[in-house]
Amino acid sequence: MSLKALRIVWRVTALNFRAQMEYRTEFLLMIAIGAIWQVSVIVFATVLLSRFAGMGGWDSSDVLLIPATRMLAHGLFVLFLGRMHWAGRQIQEGRVDIYLMRPMPVHRQIQLAFFPTNAIGDLTVAAGLMVGALSRSDLDWTAGRISYLVAAVVGGMLLEAALFTLVASAGLRFPAADYWGRWLEELLGTFGSYPLNVLPRAVGGFLTYGLPLAFVAYFPAAVLTGHGHTTGVPYWLAASAPLLGLLAYLGARLVWRWSLRHYTGING
Amino acid sequence: MAALHAWRAARVTPLGELNAPPRMTAVALRLTVQVVLVWSLWRGLYAHTGTTAGLSRDQAVTYAVLAVLASRLRELDQYAGRDTVLQHMHFGTIVYWYLRPLPPQRYYALRAAGEQLYGLAWALTGYVVCLAAGVVEPPRSAAVAGVFALSMLLGQWVLYYVMLVLDQLCFWTIRNTAAMLILLFAQNLLSGVYAPLWFFPDWFVTMSAFLPFQATLSVPLSLYVGRIPLSDAAFQLSVQAGWVVLLALFTRLLWRRAARRVISQGG
Repeated sequence: MSLKALRIVWRVTALNFRAQMEYRTEFLLMIAIGAIWQVSVIVFATVLLSRFAGMGGWDSSDVLLIPATRMLAHGLFVLFLGRMHWAGRQIQEGRVDIYLMRPMPVHRQIQLAFFPTNAIGDLTVAAGLMVGALSRSDLDWTAGRISYLVAAVVGGMLLEAALFTLVASAGLRFPAADYWGRWLEELLGTFGSYPLNVLPRAVGGFLTYGLPLAFVAYFPAAVLTGHGHTTGVPYWLAASAPLLGLLAYLGARLVWRWSLRHYTGING
Repeated sequence: MAALHAWRAARVTPLGELNAPPRMTAVALRLTVQVVLVWSLWRGLYAHTGTTAGLSRDQAVTYAVLAVLASRLRELDQYAGRDTVLQHMHFGTIVYWYLRPLPPQRYYALRAAGEQLYGLAWALTGYVVCLAAGVVEPPRSAAVAGVFALSMLLGQWVLYYVMLVLDQLCFWTIRNTAAMLILLFAQNLLSGVYAPLWFFPDWFVTMSAFLPFQATLSVPLSLYVGRIPLSDAAFQLSVQAGWVVLLALFTRLLWRRAARRVISQGG
C-alpha cells in the first residue's frame, strides 16, 4: 500500500469515527455491546469452569488462556478486518457494484465502510481477561513464550478473518451465504473457548480439519501450557497454528480475488 | 375473507424460505451440526461429574438439545426480505404499514404467527428425529408432556411480545442497532439459550426470576426435564400468563404511541 493510499485510509477512518460519534448514545452502546459480547463468552466459560473443574485434564488457570487468546484475536479482527463479517449485507444491497466503479480495491472499501466502535469494548474486555489469565498463570513467561503468544493472537485474528473472507467470497456468488457468517460467529464464541478434547474424537476432528476453530486459540494455548501432546493432532501441527493462520488468510484473499473477478452483480 | 387475508400475510416469510432451497439446506445442516456439537459438549463435560446444579447428564443434554431446537422457532432471516421494522424505519417504508387496510399491529402479529408455525415444523421434526435417535429423553409422563406443551405455548407468546418490544423501540430511536443487539443478547443469556440458568450463581437465578426472559425458554425446558417439579408447574404457568398479559398491555400502548410518530410524505 502506497503512502498516499495509507493517508486516504487514515482520513476515511477518521471520518467514519466522527460519523459514529454523531449519535453519542449509539456510540456508547456500541462500545457496550462489544464488551457485553465478550463478557458473555467469559460468563459461559466461567460457568462451565466452576461447575466442571479440571475440564479436559486442564487446570482452570490454563483453560483461561484459551478464551483470553481467542477474545484478543477476535477483538483485533473486529478492529482491523471485521467488516468482512458484514460484506454479505453489502453484497445483498448491491454496494459492491458501486465499489467496483471506484479507484480503490473493493476489499479495502468494504473494510472502510464504517468504524467498528464495538471493537473498543471487545478489546478492553479481552485485554482485561488476558491480564487476568497471565497473572493467574504459573508458567514461566520467557521471551520465547511471550513471542509465541503474540504470534498466536495475530494468527488467530488472521484465521478468523480468513474464515469470514471465505464466507464473503461465497456471498459474491450466493448472497444467502451471509447466513453462514452468523453461524460461524456463534460457533467461534461457543466452541472456541475451552479444551476441545472434552468432545468426542470425531467432533474434535471436525473442529480441527473441517472448521479449523481449534487453531484459533486451543492449539496455541495447549502448546504454551504443555498440553501440546494431548490435543489429538501431531505436535508440530498444533505448534504451527499461528503460521497456518497467516497461510489461511493469504489463501482466503486469493479466493476473494478470484470470486470478485467472477462476480456478475445483481443484474447479471 | 379475513381468514384468507390472514393466511396470505402469515405465509409470506415461510414462502420466502420455501423458495430458497439453499437456505433451507443450510438450516437443516446447521441444526444437525449444532445438535451434534451441543450433545457432544454436554456429554463430554459430564464425563467425570455426577449430578450438578440439580441436573443429571441426561437432563442437561436434553435441555441443551431442546434449546437448540427451540431457537429455530423464531430465527428466520427477515433481514434478507427487507421486512424488519429496523429496515422500514431506516428506509422510511414503515409508512406503508399504516396505509394498508390491515392495521400494522395485526400485520405484525400475523407475520410472526406464520414464522413461529414454520419454525415449529422445523423444531418438531428435529425433536422427533432426536427422540428416535435417543439424543433427548422423552417426557416422564403424559402430564409432564401436557404441561410442557402449555408452558412452551405461553413461552412463545412471551417471546413474541419481547421481540415486539425490541421492534417497537425502533420507532423512537434513529440508530438502535446496538440497543437491539444488547436486548437480543439479554434474551439469549437470561432465557437459558447459552447454558441452563441452573448452572449460574444464585444471585443470577434470582435476578432472572424477576424478568420475562426465563419464561420464554428456561421454564418450559426445566418442566420438560423435571428440574421444575410438576407440583410447581401451576405457579410457573401463572407467572408466564402474567407476563403475557403485562406485555400485551404494554405493547398495545406502544403501538398506539408509535402510530403518532409515523409521518407520511412530509407530514
